[in-house]
Amino acid sequence: MVSAIYNLALTTGANRVIRGARIEHVCGDPNLGPDKDYAFGMHIVRTALDAMCTAVTGPTLFDPLEQAAALEVAHAT
Amino acid sequence: MQEPLRVVHYVNQFFGGIGGEEAANAEVSVVAGAVGSGRALQQALGDLGTVVNTIICGDNYANDRFEEARVAIETQLRSLQPEILIAGPAFGSGRYGASCTQACKIAAEMGLAALTGMHPENPGVTRALPDVYIVPTGETSAEMQQALAGMTRLAVKLGRGETLGPAAHEGYLPRGIRRLYDRQELGYKRALSMLVRKLKGEPFVTEVPIHEPERVLPAKPMADLAGAKIAIVTTGGLVRKGNPDRQVAANATRYYRHSVLELRSLSGSDWEAYHAGYFNHIVNSNPNYILPLNFLRDLQDAGVIDDVYEWIYALPGVSTPVAISQQMGQTIAKDLQDAQVTGCLLVST
Repeated sequence: MVSAIYNLALTTGANRVIRGARIEHVCGDPNLGPDKDYAFGMHIVRTALDAMCTAVTGPTLFDPLEQAAALEVAHAT
Repeated sequence: MQEPLRVVHYVNQFFGGIGGEEAANAEVSVVAGAVGSGRALQQALGDLGTVVNTIICGDNYANDRFEEARVAIETQLRSLQPEILIAGPAFGSGRYGASCTQACKIAAEMGLAALTGMHPENPGVTRALPDVYIVPTGETSAEMQQALAGMTRLAVKLGRGETLGPAAHEGYLPRGIRRLYDRQELGYKRALSMLVRKLKGEPFVTEVPIHEPERVLPAKPMADLAGAKIAIVTTGGLVRKGNPDRQVAANATRYYRHSVLELRSLSGSDWEAYHAGYFNHIVNSNPNYILPLNFLRDLQDAGVIDDVYEWIYALPGVSTPVAISQQMGQTIAKDLQDAQVTGCLLVST
């Protein structure tokens, strides 16, 4: 499940929760401009697919932002 | 000292001393005074009440011929005019529980005070709410004394016309009726007391019971992403532009599914969001934000996944009752299983 309100998703028992951007734009962010918006949305979807390939034992959060920050640093340097 | 209350006891064929299962078809009959288990009831009542009559009704008669039973019970109650009708206790017996509940409902409709007792999981409980007062008991008549103690205490109050307090205080099953009253202490103080008790590991009673959500076993991970068929479901309220299906904006009782065969991306000229729970305009410009079709198609082209399932499912997920959500989820899941979908992305707003 991709949701911006990830804590709610976890407490109600969704097992694979992917953190979405915002309620009004879950898979991406129009404020980033078209290229970065697309990259962010794609990153969220890929995180979701990775989550579905990962074994979990209960509600687990998969946060694209943790990985996105690392990508940003890599691009900057 | 107050006069003892006029009590009528309602029992089945067994507790009324007529017989066992073979007498379950016994029609409604009335005897003077207390009989069978009624004697224990009279003891529990002491001076506070007198069992003036006992109505006996066979369990099968009460359940199978309930219209006739109803008429007979009504007639009896009308002539007996008890100050309180005490039915049972039925413990775990389902037919007896339903029979007691019915008797109490009839009494209540006639403006007579009534009370019964049974195990909280007795089927008779579900039919009773919210009209009937039920004192929770154990499963078997081995606990007759405790059951009668609880029932007589409440019966006396009801018989005297006193209003009962909250279910938890008075010892009856919650009827789902909420009355406002003053707790005499500010909310923050009550909350702090609860927190202190919780931190100390002491017992505390919540004022707002939370319903535990069901735990779902996690699905096994997808083994082969490149060979995967991915389905997409959204609760973001996606609809075709203009909402021709007339989907509601909240409190949905159904979902709609749409074919995305051959579709590469969702366009704001063909789709929009109709959802009362969030600001829809951003999604209206780019519906892929709540149903990421374009990303999955790009991944399909790149060979990362094999296919996107032809049907996408959409509803507005705001104010959807849990039971309805469960039904919809089960139906969608069955569709996906039949179509041999490998994994499903649910996007929620």
